[in-house]
Amino acid sequence: MTGRARVHARGRRRDTPSSEPAQPEATRGCPVPRVPRTDPPLSFADLVRRGTAAQQPHQIQPRLQPLTGVRHVSGAGPPAGAEATSQPSEEHQLASGSQGSLLRKKTDVGRDYRDFVVNTRQNLVHVRESTKGTQGSPVMLFSNHVRLKSCSQRHLYKYNVTYTPDIEDGRKREAFLSELEKLLGNRCVYDGNSLLLPHSLGETKKEVVSKLKNEPVKITFELSRELQTTSPDCLRYYNILFKKMLEKMDLNQIGRNYYNKNKKAEFNEHRLEIWPGYVTSILPCEIGLTLCADVSHKLLRMETAYDLISHTREEARGEDAKEKILRKLVGSSVLTKYNNRTYRVDDIIWEMSPSSTFTKSDGSEISFVDYYKERYGTVVTTLNQPLLITKGKWKKSRQDTTHQPIMLVPELCHLTGLTDDMRKDYRMMRDLCTHTRMDPERRQRKLLTFVDALRKNNTVQKELRDWNLELEAGFLSFSGRTLQDVRIHQGRRMVRFDNHKADWSKNTREVPLLRAVSLDHWLIVYTKGNYGTALTLQQNLQKVTPKMGVTVRNAKLLEADDTVQSYIRTLEKHASQNTQMVLFLLPTDNKEIYDGIKRYLCINYPIPSQCVLKRTLDRPKTPVTIATKIALQMNCKLGGALWKVDIGLQNAMFIGIDCFHDIERRRKSVAGFVASIDPDLTRWFSQCIIQQSGQELVKGLTTCLYTALKLWYEQNSSLPRSIIVYRDGVGDGQLQALIDQEVKQMESYLENAYRGQKVRLTFIVVKKRINTRFFIEKDGGRLNNPSPGTVIDLKVTRTEWYDFFIVSQSVREGTGAVSPTHYNVIHDTLQLSPDAVQGLTYKLCHMYYNFSGIIRVPAPCHYAHKLAYLVGQSLHQQPHESLSKSLFYL
Amino acid sequence: VAENNMECNSVVDGNVEEVPSKKVIKFNPPLYKQRYQFVKNLVEQHQPKKVADLGCGDVCLLAILKYQKCVEELVGVDINEGKLKWNGSRLSPCVGDHLDPRELDLAITLYHGSVLEKDCRLLGFDLAACIELIEHFDSEDLGKFPEVVFGYMSPTMIVISTPNSEFNSLFPCVVFRDSDHKFEWNRMQFQTWALDVASRYNYSVEFTGVGEPPTGAEDVGYCTQIGVFRKKAEAAELAILEHHGEHVYEVVYTTSYPSLQQINYRRRVVVYLVYREVSRLRQKYQASLRQHELEPEFVACGNRTGKFTSDLPVPVLTEDDKAMEMAPQPFCIEDKFYVPLQRIIAYPRLGHLCGNVEKLREFLGDVIELNCDGSAVKVDLNDCSDF
Repeated sequence: MTGRARVHARGRRRDTPSSEPAQPEATRGCPVPRVPRTDPPLSFADLVRRGTAAQQPHQIQPRLQPLTGVRHVSGAGPPAGAEATSQPSEEHQLASGSQGSLLRKKTDVGRDYRDFVVNTRQNLVHVRESTKGTQGSPVMLFSNHVRLKSCSQRHLYKYNVTYTPDIEDGRKREAFLSELEKLLGNRCVYDGNSLLLPHSLGETKKEVVSKLKNEPVKITFELSRELQTTSPDCLRYYNILFKKMLEKMDLNQIGRNYYNKNKKAEFNEHRLEIWPGYVTSILPCEIGLTLCADVSHKLLRMETAYDLISHTREEARGEDAKEKILRKLVGSSVLTKYNNRTYRVDDIIWEMSPSSTFTKSDGSEISFVDYYKERYGTVVTTLNQPLLITKGKWKKSRQDTTHQPIMLVPELCHLTGLTDDMRKDYRMMRDLCTHTRMDPERRQRKLLTFVDALRKNNTVQKELRDWNLELEAGFLSFSGRTLQDVRIHQGRRMVRFDNHKADWSKNTREVPLLRAVSLDHWLIVYTKGNYGTALTLQQNLQKVTPKMGVTVRNAKLLEADDTVQSYIRTLEKHASQNTQMVLFLLPTDNKEIYDGIKRYLCINYPIPSQCVLKRTLDRPKTPVTIATKIALQMNCKLGGALWKVDIGLQNAMFIGIDCFHDIERRRKSVAGFVASIDPDLTRWFSQCIIQQSGQELVKGLTTCLYTALKLWYEQNSSLPRSIIVYRDGVGDGQLQALIDQEVKQMESYLENAYRGQKVRLTFIVVKKRINTRFFIEKDGGRLNNPSPGTVIDLKVTRTEWYDFFIVSQSVREGTGAVSPTHYNVIHDTLQLSPDAVQGLTYKLCHMYYNFSGIIRVPAPCHYAHKLAYLVGQSLHQQPHESLSKSLFYL
Repeated sequence: VAENNMECNSVVDGNVEEVPSKKVIKFNPPLYKQRYQFVKNLVEQHQPKKVADLGCGDVCLLAILKYQKCVEELVGVDINEGKLKWNGSRLSPCVGDHLDPRELDLAITLYHGSVLEKDCRLLGFDLAACIELIEHFDSEDLGKFPEVVFGYMSPTMIVISTPNSEFNSLFPCVVFRDSDHKFEWNRMQFQTWALDVASRYNYSVEFTGVGEPPTGAEDVGYCTQIGVFRKKAEAAELAILEHHGEHVYEVVYTTSYPSLQQINYRRRVVVYLVYREVSRLRQKYQASLRQHELEPEFVACGNRTGKFTSDLPVPVLTEDDKAMEMAPQPFCIEDKFYVPLQRIIAYPRLGHLCGNVEKLREFLGDVIELNCDGSAVKVDLNDCSDF
């Protein structure tokens, strides 16, 4: 019996052929601009001739692109609760709801742990001895890992469990086992398909009949493996074990993590609550198993989907009410109050209401109203509301499985996460941030209390003892190294900056750019009443640019209405072959308009464009700073270059790959590919690969690689000697597939292209979403963030990998804990030493032109991310080829 | 303890071959669900506050009963500690229970112990369910059972279910429905026992059952026979409550639910509803202003329904809405929008939660700004960032 009303009976795990879900967005997406001409008005040569650069001040567009530089650069990120919308919730839902464990699917078991058994280091001869570097000054660090010691050499036994006849319902599967306590004892961890026992069942294959309710079922236990207590195969079970323990500590499971209702904070004015909680995972590290714990916050809202519908309906008062409601609701996550499940809304059925009926699993028809009344005692009060449709769980690895859609009553669905409207509310965001942001000291103290509570809890203690495990007191501490500061060259000058702030924007203001591009023919489009603002902006730009070595001539100032159609009409009329740049002064932050403009100027009529929100310019204090940033960004988009660093590797091409999944709307995924095409890393070639929704592994890399190499050849009259790939956006459990597919694909292509000559390829997997944190102890014992350039390559790294962490960002004091980035070198025929690859990676974090400072990931990764994001979010199709050599996507 | 029957015997072994004349009987919904449903119906009908499930096993019945609004205390007792531990978390309040708390308090406790032992925490219940329990007792235990449950616990109502052996003739298997059953009674045997127990402890009893026999075999009766016992005299025994304070059972799991009885939850719900109502009214007001601007000659603001597309559900005015039209209307002074508390309290749900304006004012406290004499909620007219 499931708690959700299913449209059709028993929809789980029926593999139906992949059918393209009827995408309602197609009709209500952004208006497609009329296409006046198909020929690109600009020749490729034009672009190159014009080509030079500018960089976008990160304050300018934060509202237009929820994922702007700001968040990545400053690191603090949104409150964790905000992530609810982008995280498909997961397998190990042990808690509440009779079908909580439905999700524990056979196909998915161990997905999260699969990577740990991949040994990539064994093939890397040059680091067989050691993966540790030596450069930099040593620094003492604390981590948020606690050692989980195993106190016994005894083996554990893993049994595969099968049911005849097969049982699908996870809870039922578990219930059958609970009947067998005599056989299994009370110490066993079950993940839905297999069982970990501290003792052997005697035989390698044991069959028993268990009876529950009216059904006897034959259960077969088949010994799969005997395991060491520290084996990565045990991780899955240990994690389940810990989840059970957290439940015992009166924490509530929401999604993947556990939260404490007793310490929640209420924000009555915003009608939401924040529950503090913890992210925990057992990780295998060089020093053995560790428990990695981090603080997390969950944002819960009192409002229901029906509140949103009725509010929007009132607000819209017209034909487009439906469309507005759809836009607001589709793609968002809702929490059903009666059974604690989260669903993603895929569509709304207007024709149905709570009085409509559906077929229950026993075949009987029942109306939604009666069902909820009967099953949960919940009364649906509004009968004239439409129903929400959800297509069930979305998994990156399983797009070809579709589920029977599930229908939900809006009134019973709480909204979760932050909406864009809420993000725009500065006051509210400030309230939330002060609550969720935690400086290292507070964070670590909180975690320490948590670990202490774990250690002191009797149930937990007993459970751990039963498994011969012991949680050590205190967090792991070890020595890291802070790398030397990187020198920034701008023009002939070397820029000095305070490395600890990791930002040189102030230091470069007076210095000419490395490669300045003059702005001769350009347009400023503004809306009614904003002529003054437009003019002031132009004047400010002209004021700040001479020092950069950029000449900005007067732009053509054009007035337009704030609609996509009007903007495009204006462009059709005034843009010409010569137009280098169009600057839009937008009165409001409207995604539709932004998308419309970008689509037109990236696809139909390729001209680099710059959108500036009027609000940004209205802040009185900062017009010069903002003008500077806009000027820099425009210069980049035109093909200019701002600075360079001495990479120290001759003739190397750097490639960045990242993927964008539109999880919300389940559109196709976009992989962004960028490659440096000059030795100084000032020019980048970019291309997109648009693939099936959710697909992570990039197919069709070879075409990208081909074009990149061709361009390199044109520019440098030789092929690069070595190629270094930074690959971001790799999902959990895809490491092996990455090696087997992407790396292989690239290697064999390169072998061909180089006609047998040895190509040296280094492939590095970049991971940002990790829970590991590092802190240093400042004078007086207070914990603080480590300085940018701190490298960690021991203890918490893995023996089987050539991996390391770098803290490359700087976070302002008191604002939060800096997140390190994890790098895993999975292929390396270039044979970079640990020092070399660490240094190189850190230097690349200085090369992102949209921010005069150090960022979290190497520049190629972030360029690839920006590209994929623009295409996935706004363009939905390949940008025009003529733009492929400029940083138009900044 | 309870659930190990094979009424719906599927084709597991070759038994069917031996009795080809008999069709395998399947109940829809399954019999165990029918039994739970029966108890649930009893609860709905008699609205007990305190309900105990004796021999609660994997807590399925409790998980169903926790949704009943009238129930304030739920207790499960079973001798299988593992099962209780394994399933306890199924009963814990989930996030929705916090966001939208129930009206009345609810505490759930699972005890590890035997139904044949006396524990004073089981005193004073309104309903005790013994579903498929007694047939697991040997004769000695069966002898003790009435004294503990009827004599000691003495709940207002007791429901006992047990297999009806007459029905077994329709099943392919010859012996008991479960290997742990010590006996299976026919209707006569059960009713004799029940009537005897009832008269001894001053209860009345009615017999019924679930699992209708198939056509043609009506004379065998229900597959599961049920006795519903009701205590006759109540007043006399009130005195024994709270005494005999022995705690024999071990608490395996306990939890309590957020409810509107708890002041902080009630306040939060009130504040949320007030915000929602105020924002709705303000939105309406703004709309009427805009309407006025756009079509000055077209003042009536109720007429914009014409703009809706026909298939979009349009809110229908209910009796409640009409009642609220009578209450004082919101008003606007400069850029502030005011909603009289009288008007807010007229909204039925809030009226129910607060009772009167004083209480409402107290709830809003320092969370929501009121006008100077505290008679109306005051918000910015043009602040629309609330959704």
